[in-house]
Amino acid sequence: MSSFRLFLLGGLTSYRALFSWLSPWILIPTFIVGPIAQILFFAYAGRAAGVGDDAFYVIGNAVQNAAIPCIFAMGITVGDERRQGTLGLLLVSPARRIPLFLGRALPVVVNGLAVALVALGAGSVLLDVPIHASSLLSLTGVVAVSAFACTGLGLANAALSLRVREVAVLSNLVVGVLLVFAGVNVPLSDLPGWMAAVAQWLPLTHGIAAAREVAAGAGLASVRDDVLAEAALGTLYVLVGLILLAWFERESRRRATLDVA
Amino acid sequence: MRVIDVSDLGRTFRSRSGLRRTEKVVEAVRGISFQVERGELFGLLGPNGAGKTTTIKMLITLLLPTSGRIEVLGHDVVAKPREVRRRVGYVFGGDRGLYERLSGLDNLRYFAELYAVPAREQRARIGELLELVGLTGRERERVEGYSRGMRQRLHIARGLLHRPEVLFLDEPSIGIDPVGARELRQTVKALIEQGTTVLLTTHYMFEADELCDRIAVLAGGRIVAEGTPEQLKQKVSLGSVVEVEVFGLPGGTDERIRALPGVRSLVVEERGPAQVLLVHAEPGSELTQPVLSALDGAQVGRVSTRQPTLEDAYVELVGGA
Repeated sequence: MSSFRLFLLGGLTSYRALFSWLSPWILIPTFIVGPIAQILFFAYAGRAAGVGDDAFYVIGNAVQNAAIPCIFAMGITVGDERRQGTLGLLLVSPARRIPLFLGRALPVVVNGLAVALVALGAGSVLLDVPIHASSLLSLTGVVAVSAFACTGLGLANAALSLRVREVAVLSNLVVGVLLVFAGVNVPLSDLPGWMAAVAQWLPLTHGIAAAREVAAGAGLASVRDDVLAEAALGTLYVLVGLILLAWFERESRRRATLDVA
Repeated sequence: MRVIDVSDLGRTFRSRSGLRRTEKVVEAVRGISFQVERGELFGLLGPNGAGKTTTIKMLITLLLPTSGRIEVLGHDVVAKPREVRRRVGYVFGGDRGLYERLSGLDNLRYFAELYAVPAREQRARIGELLELVGLTGRERERVEGYSRGMRQRLHIARGLLHRPEVLFLDEPSIGIDPVGARELRQTVKALIEQGTTVLLTTHYMFEADELCDRIAVLAGGRIVAEGTPEQLKQKVSLGSVVEVEVFGLPGGTDERIRALPGVRSLVVEERGPAQVLLVHAEPGSELTQPVLSALDGAQVGRVSTRQPTLEDAYVELVGGA
């Protein structure tokens, strides 16, 4: 029971405590204005270049925008323990680490899902991209799995904050890589072979492909492989993140690598 | 019953820097041993860099020793860290270590979850601790608006949430006002009366003198003296201390005083426009007149003779280490 409470209540509390973007002055530009601007930019660029249709860009960029909270919020909710001087207290607590850190991921997944859905709604209205009402629920499910997978990568990225101070730089890099590699604005078939191969191991690639098909009217059964691949990648990154966190914590006790006072 | 057992404890820090990756080795703690009994208040004193905080970090499982052994409540801190963590509390001084964006209440709730305080007990326990540290009525305010004293009191409440059997206090009164520091000492005394074992580090000698049953003085990573405050005072100097306030100390006077028969040591402190000479006498020596004669020509203010304090003992112990 205490692990469940730590996962649910502890996760939500630490998200509120540490995610310093929870202010309207940061939330609205970052999670609403920025994603819509990104969708418009790529959709108009696509129109001007005569490649792709608006739906391609709306869905690709909307789902990719889940990466912003998923990568940055995860990094901040782990990394800022160090800045606030609470990391030492966290590490000397007997709390089980898996519910402790996974609990922080749960609000981040919800945040990522919300950002992507708002961007999707706004993009479809502004660019007149129809999304069938019948596919909304399936689309939400696919975006949620994509947000989970992104959060997994975010957790692995966040673990590095126990070793390096400026994890935000790395977060920017990760979001940039996803934008270029994951088939957000350029179909995988048009990317160089090695980039398309790397993309298969990144979150969002399979999620975006599935979301495009579902938005076009396909059923969940027909995108099952992509959804499962996205979920599997998310789980893999979560495991990598938890292993890194445990390893860095052990190393910090042995080599005093953390500023914990 | 022994609750802390430290033997031959050592901790070495290694770091590499520069293009040649030159290794720097610092021996922060060098083979120290001490024991703390249940219900005792044990003090670790020492100058900055003496190894106090490193020792506490090893005791609370935050750092692994490079040599030696520590048992807390019968559990080895290396082999059974979780068992130790469940039973000990840790409070450090200063502004950091709290979630600024949360209220005091939410900080306590969160740490209650980290320490698995049962949900049905949390509300009562938090209320009781808020009362104890005098934060009742302010608990719903964000911590970022708290004064340093309020933060420190919240730290104490946080450290006590899970009713630890051993409490580690690392310079808890640093930076808080005299009234807050007095209240903190009262709280610590109350904890001892309730049976909690406390290990305290502090730079304030009067605090250590008032609170500690026993003290270990650390210098350069080693224990240079251990005993009750009274034993430490007697260990270093049985003679009295002559304090002389001087306005404009003539050059060479300190050498003349040090050369006087019966003078054990001399410390000169700058206090505003005056210099205060602290002359430690050998046992049985009467130094007031000889010191005043040596100050011939200088403008002398207040003169007093007193018995040595723990601070005098500390300065001598650490200075001689």
